[in-house]
Amino acid sequence: MEKEKEEKRYKSGLLRSLRPYKFNLERYTYTLHRITGVILILYLIAHVFEIYHLALGPVAWQQTMALLSSLGIWEKIGLWIIAGSALYHGANGLRLILNEAFGMLLGKPVLPEYPYTPTSLSRNQKIAIYTIVVIVVALWIWAGIYLLWGLGII
Amino acid sequence: MPSKYSLLKESWNMILMYALALIMIFVLTFHLLLVSPLTGKTFDQVLTYSYVLHNLTYYRIVFGLLLYAAVIHGLNGLRVVLIEWLHVKRFQWIINMIIVMLMAFLLALGTYTLIAI
Repeated sequence: MEKEKEEKRYKSGLLRSLRPYKFNLERYTYTLHRITGVILILYLIAHVFEIYHLALGPVAWQQTMALLSSLGIWEKIGLWIIAGSALYHGANGLRLILNEAFGMLLGKPVLPEYPYTPTSLSRNQKIAIYTIVVIVVALWIWAGIYLLWGLGII
Repeated sequence: MPSKYSLLKESWNMILMYALALIMIFVLTFHLLLVSPLTGKTFDQVLTYSYVLHNLTYYRIVFGLLLYAAVIHGLNGLRVVLIEWLHVKRFQWIINMIIVMLMAFLLALGTYTLIAI
């Protein structure tokens, strides 16, 4: 009986962790960091296989490229999602390194007082997060233009 | 209660993740620049056999560094995500084993590609 209860609670925990309800800004960045990380590792596995075909010669490479091209617009959309994931994961990762490894952007520690606003969500931290969002969106749009229309802005 | 050695191990794990992430920021930026509009080529042109082969042979060490940093950082990250999400003790060993085997396989395949070209 106890075990059954525990199992139910455990299952609801799994589902709730995927439901973005009442998250604060930092929790959104954390969730997005994990989602983009999983997208990137799945792509990396496929990318290592793709590049392996280079070692098999030009015919194998052309066949692989033809297979990817056969996906049409979905190939480009997929690469655009991966580009966005890489941009966000990299930029947010750099912020996390500054936070966690060097203790930057966090402000001074204070006693917990109601309504318990996390000190990690200081003004500097919010500026860093919004700056990341602006830069990533701008570069993502640029990547989209390059991928979808073959136009380089620079 | 984890032992002081396991805490030490986890903190070394995070230091490894940060170090590999910093390496990747530079190396991956370099990789993306090679396929970016800054090369003056269209997206299809940067995927031709001769262009990709030239880049991979000319910058073999850089791509080797990227392969090892990305595979270790990525799969270790996936391991942490899975262990934290499915926080059941008996899954940990299975997840660790699958990740280690996948890591060895991808590193072997990538290293073979870099040597064989």
